[in-house]
Amino acid sequence: MTLSALALAGVFLALYLTLYKLGYIGRLVCGTGECETVQLSKWSTLLGQPIALWGCGFYLATFAVATAGTTERWAASRALSVVLVVLTGWGVAFSGFLTYLELFEIHAICRYCVVSALLTCVLFVVAVLDLRDYRSARSDV
Amino acid sequence: MAKKSVQKAKNTKPFIGILVAIGLVGVAAIGYLATRSADAEIMRIDTSVPIGKAESYLIGREDAPVQVVEFADFECPSCGSWATLTEPDVRARLINTGQVAIRFYDFPLPMHKNTWAASNAAACAAEQGKFVEMHDRLFQGQIEWNGEATSKPKGVFMGYAKELGLDVAKFESCFDSQRMIPRIKGNRAEAERRQIAQTPTFVIGDKAIPGDIPFDQFKKYVDDELAKHAPAAPKSPAK
Repeated sequence: MTLSALALAGVFLALYLTLYKLGYIGRLVCGTGECETVQLSKWSTLLGQPIALWGCGFYLATFAVATAGTTERWAASRALSVVLVVLTGWGVAFSGFLTYLELFEIHAICRYCVVSALLTCVLFVVAVLDLRDYRSARSDV
Repeated sequence: MAKKSVQKAKNTKPFIGILVAIGLVGVAAIGYLATRSADAEIMRIDTSVPIGKAESYLIGREDAPVQVVEFADFECPSCGSWATLTEPDVRARLINTGQVAIRFYDFPLPMHKNTWAASNAAACAAEQGKFVEMHDRLFQGQIEWNGEATSKPKGVFMGYAKELGLDVAKFESCFDSQRMIPRIKGNRAEAERRQIAQTPTFVIGDKAIPGDIPFDQFKKYVDDELAKHAPAAPKSPAK
């Protein structure tokens, strides 16, 4: 449940950046202006689509899998826990790469990206703890 | 998940409530942020105005051996950073020495609400032969007139026009008439035709270099181009 809630928050975060990148909401409310530098850099698109849109997809996928895990049918599924660990682990790795780009290639920090990276790390930790719970529950049986 | 999760699965009402709450907060937050940057009083561009011929602004000598094409947005922070921190060096060492000229094309991006107005101000200053001065002033004062600072940038631009010694009445008449919009549209169309994806982007020779590039990198590309223009070294006599 925690995973679903966090992932849903991530969906809105990524959606905001996507809407900006696609030109629907004018200017980013950022303060320092570095968000724009990051969002307008050559690193802000991947395969022709905004990175934020890919982020939206990532959070939606995490939300879908995590929410499926709260239903009776899938609640005891180890596979779902493993999928969540892999998915969020990938998210952490990709966020790490994006943070590296911000620091060493773009030389600007987007605070929304930092929040997203932290959110992804928390998602990963919760997913790992969930998988550990599963294992300890199995050993209790 | 296991036992704990199975128990949780049976009690989903609070969970659904939390998700709905997050959803509502998310929608409200995006709505609020979008409204804060809403373009209630942005310069409206008449969409029926035809796209004019792309016509760059020249910074430097027309016959400079290296002609750099720059695509930039007056409201883009990276463009502002390059124009205020790097371009002075480029002017002093490469443009004023006659090696390089920059041909500036407007590339107003959709997320910047005052950028069309800024391009309009620059074009109207160009009409009075002061494009470079207005270009510099706009970039130096970006935080005074950008979309976060104001929804009425014209007043700031009028101040710049006065400061730069322009005929203010003529500048205002030009600004209000929007007669420079076809040129700006043409410049933007040129950027799109060349598939420019980022501002600023510099086209030096056959290379399109995106980003707020440092002076050394800019000079390296210029040097490569100058080397191509350099007369071939005389062949050493055969021994």
